[in-house]
Amino acid sequence: MDAAANAEKIAVSGFRHFFDTEDGPVQATGVVDLKIRAGEFVTLVGPSGCGKTTLLKAMAGFIRPTEGTIHCDGKLVTKPGRERGVVFQELAILPWRTVRRNIGHGLEIAGVPKVEREEKVTRLIDLIGLGGFEDRYPHELSGGMRQRVAVARTWAADPDVILMDEPFAAVDAMTRLTLQEELGRLCVATRKTVFFITHSVDEAVFLGDRVLVMTRRPGTIKAEIDIPRRAAGGRDWESFTTDVEMQGIAERVLKLVRAERGLTPAEEARAAAGAGA
Amino acid sequence: MSLVSVQHAPAARPIPVPTGWAVAARQLRSVKILFPFIVLVAIWWAIQAAGNFPDRVLVSPQRVFDTMVLLISRGVIAEYVSTSLKIIGIATAISIVVGVPIGFAVGANRYAARSLEGFLRFLQGVSGIAWLPLIIIWFGFTHATTLAVVVYTLIVPIIFNTMIGTRAIPEHYGLALRSLGAARLRLITDVYLPGALPSIVVGLRLGMGYGWRALIAAEMLVRQGGLGDLIFGARTSGQIDRIIGGMIIIGTLYLLIDRMLVQPIENLTIARWGVLRK
Amino acid sequence: MSVQAAPIATTSTARRALGRLAWTLVPAAPFVIVTLIWIMATGILNPSKETLPPVTDVLASIKELALSGQLATNVVASLYRLLLGSILGIVTGLIGGVIVGLNRKLAESLNPVVVFFNAISGIVWLPLMITWLGIGNALAVFLIWNTVFFIVFQNAALGVQLVPEVYEQGVRALGGGRWQTMRSVILPGALPYILTGIRTGLGFGWRALIAAELVGAATGLGTMIFDAAEYHRSDIIVAGCLIIGVIAIVMDRWLLLPIERRTVRRWGLVADTEKE
Ligand SMILES: Nc1ncnc2c1ncn2[C@@H]1O[C@H](COP(=O)(O)OP(=O)(O)OP(=O)(O)O)[C@@H](O)[C@H]1O
Ligand SMILES: [Mg+2]
Repeated sequence: MDAAANAEKIAVSGFRHFFDTEDGPVQATGVVDLKIRAGEFVTLVGPSGCGKTTLLKAMAGFIRPTEGTIHCDGKLVTKPGRERGVVFQELAILPWRTVRRNIGHGLEIAGVPKVEREEKVTRLIDLIGLGGFEDRYPHELSGGMRQRVAVARTWAADPDVILMDEPFAAVDAMTRLTLQEELGRLCVATRKTVFFITHSVDEAVFLGDRVLVMTRRPGTIKAEIDIPRRAAGGRDWESFTTDVEMQGIAERVLKLVRAERGLTPAEEARAAAGAGA
Repeated sequence: MSLVSVQHAPAARPIPVPTGWAVAARQLRSVKILFPFIVLVAIWWAIQAAGNFPDRVLVSPQRVFDTMVLLISRGVIAEYVSTSLKIIGIATAISIVVGVPIGFAVGANRYAARSLEGFLRFLQGVSGIAWLPLIIIWFGFTHATTLAVVVYTLIVPIIFNTMIGTRAIPEHYGLALRSLGAARLRLITDVYLPGALPSIVVGLRLGMGYGWRALIAAEMLVRQGGLGDLIFGARTSGQIDRIIGGMIIIGTLYLLIDRMLVQPIENLTIARWGVLRK
Repeated sequence: MSVQAAPIATTSTARRALGRLAWTLVPAAPFVIVTLIWIMATGILNPSKETLPPVTDVLASIKELALSGQLATNVVASLYRLLLGSILGIVTGLIGGVIVGLNRKLAESLNPVVVFFNAISGIVWLPLMITWLGIGNALAVFLIWNTVFFIVFQNAALGVQLVPEVYEQGVRALGGGRWQTMRSVILPGALPYILTGIRTGLGFGWRALIAAELVGAATGLGTMIFDAAEYHRSDIIVAGCLIIGVIAIVMDRWLLLPIERRTVRRWGLVADTEKE
C-alpha cells in the first residue's frame, strides 16, 4: 500500500464554474488546478464567497463543472460516490434520526448487517465522546455535539477521501481545539485523504500537510504552502503554539489571506491612506 | 381546526405528581372544561322556559338529551355515523395515497410547483360543493357523489402542503445522503418522507377540516344517509331535537377525530424530532 | 458537455430570456392542459351534452348569462351577502378576539366552547337556521358570519397573545396608558395575524356561501347552478363553477393579498402570508 501512498488521489484540472441564475451567469470560481496525493491532508483558506464550497461540491460530484475536469483515482467524477465522504458547512444530519441511527446511516445504506453496524457505531460514539447520547435526537444536542455526529457519520462509511467544508465553524472554541487534535490524530492513523475548507488560518496550518490560499471571487489558488511534517508524532496545540517555525508559517499565510480581504487595490490604498491620516 | 395560522404547541408533559393530587387536578380540569358548556345549557334552558316556544322552533336541552339517548340506544345514530365515517375514511385514504406522491413529484421541480400552485388555488376557490350538481348528473344520488366531493376538497391541501414541505427540506440533507451512496428510493424514504411529514400532517389536518364540512354539506343534498342527511332530514319533519342532537354529535366526532387521530401523530413524530418551531 | 469552454454569455442570455418567459407562463399550463383534455374528451368520447358540455357551449352560456343580466344579478346577490356577512364576522371576531387575547384567564375558560363551536361552524347550522330564519338573505348572512367569525376571532386572539411583552412594557415605560398601549402596540403587532385571518375567513366565507345558496336562497351563484341542475344544463353548472373560481381568485390575489402584503411587508413583520 505504501507504493500507492504517493499516488495521485484527486486531480482537478482547468476547473472553472458559473452558476446560472435569473440575472444571468454568476462566476463562482476562477480557473483552479489542484492535485491531492493519497493520504494527504490539504487545507484551503480564502475570503468568503470566493468559491471554496463550489470547488468542494464539484469534487463531491454534486455539481458539474462548467469547464475543466475532476478525477478521483483516475476516474472522471460525474456523480457523488461512497468513496468521497462529505461533511457540510451547514449541518446536514437528519433531525428525525437519533445519534446512533444518523452515524450508522451510511453503513445502513451500504447494507452492512445490523450487528456489525452497531458495533462500529458504538466504537465511534465513544471516540467522539458522545457516550450516553446514543438515542437522543439532534435537537437535543449542542451545536458542537451535532457537528461531531456529522463527522462521525461520514467517518463511519469509511470513504477514501473526506471533503470537509468548515466542519468546526459552529463549534465553541474549547471543543474545537479538542476536535482538531482528534481529527489530526485520526487522519494520520487511518491515512485518509482529506480536503478541508476553513476560515481559520491557525486551523489550516495546524491540520494541513499543505495549505492552499485562494484569491477573492472569482477565486483561483494563489499560493501553496507545504507544512513540514511535525517531528514528534503530530499535531497538538501546545507544541503548535510554541513552535516558532509553525508560527512563522501561520503568519505568512495570514498575510496572504489578509491581502484578499475583498478590497480592490485602489480601495486598499485609500483605506491605508485613511488609516494614516 | 380549520385555521391557517393557529398552531398548537405540543403540550408539555405533565410532571408526575403523587397520584391523589394528580386525580384531583384532573377532575378540576375537566370541570373547568365543562363549566362554560354548563353555562350555555343553562341559558338555553332559561330561554326555552321563558319563551314558551313551539316544539318546531326550540326544545329543551332535556328533550335533545332524551332524543340522543333514544337514537343511540336504538342504534340509529351508529348507522348515520358509520356512513359518514366510512366516507371520510375512504376519502382520506385516497387523498393521501394519490396526493402525497403528486406533492412530492411537483415539489421536486420549481417550475412544476409554480404551475400547480395557481391551479390548486383556483380549485380551492371553486368549493367541491359547487361541483355537486354536475357530479350528481354523473353519479346520481349515491355515496360515490359524496365521496367525489370530499376527495376533491381533501386532496388539495394535502398536495399543496406536501409540495411546500418537500421544497422546505434543506438541499444538503439530500446531498449528504447521496454522498453516502443513497439511491433515489432511499432518498424518498429517508429524507423526503420524514422531512415533509410535518407539513403533510398540517395538510391532512386542514384537509380533514374542510373535508368534514364538505361531507356534511354533500350529505344534506345527496340524502343517502350520513350525519348531514340526519340533520337535514330532521328539518323537513320539524324535529328540532334531532337537528340539535345531530349538530352536537357532528362537533364532538370531528373533535375526536382531530384529537385522537391527527394530534397523536403530530406529537409522536414531529414534536419528538424538534422540527416544529416554537 | 462540461469540457468545452462554451460561449457562456450568449447562450445564457437567450436561455435566460426563455427561462423568464417559461417562468411567467408556467402557471397557465395546467389550465391549458385541462382545457385540451376537455376538448379532446368531448371530441373523442362524444358524451351527451348533459354529461360533459363542450367548451364552446360553456363559453356561449357564459356570454348568454352575461348579456341577459342574469349573471350580474346573481353575482351581485352573492357578493352582497358575502360583504354583509363578512363585515359582521370581521367586526365581531376582531372585538371578541382582542378582548380574549388580552385576557389569558378568559381565553383559557372560553377555549373549549370556541373549539367546539368552531368544529360545527358554517354549513352545519344550515338545517337549524332554515327553520329559524327561513330561506333568504338572513340565512346566508348568518352562515357567512359564523364562518368568518371563528377564523378572525382565533387569529386576532393569537396575534394579540403573541405580541412580545417588551413592546408593551416599552410604551408603558414611556408613560402610555392602557388605550395608548392598545393602539400603538397591540393592534399593530397583531395586525399580520388579523389580516391573515380576514383573508382566510373571506375564502371560507365564499365557499360556505355557495353551499348555503344551493338550498337556502332564491338568487345567487349557488342557486343558479342548482337550478341549472334541475334542467340538466351542465353548461351553466360548469360556467357557474368557473365564475365562482375566478371571483375567489380575483378577490384573494388582487384585493386581499396585496393589502396584507403591503401592510405587513412595509413594517418588516413576517407572517406566513403564503401558507394556505
Ligand atoms: N447555487 C448558487 N447559485 C448562484 N450563485 C451561487 C450559488 N452558490 C454559490 N453562488 C455564488 O458563488 C460564489 C461562491 O460561492 P461559494 O459558496 O463557493 O463561496 P465560499 O467560498 O464557500 O464562501 P464561504 O466562505 O462564505 O462559505 C458566491 O459569490 C455565491 O454567491
Ligand atoms: Mg462555503
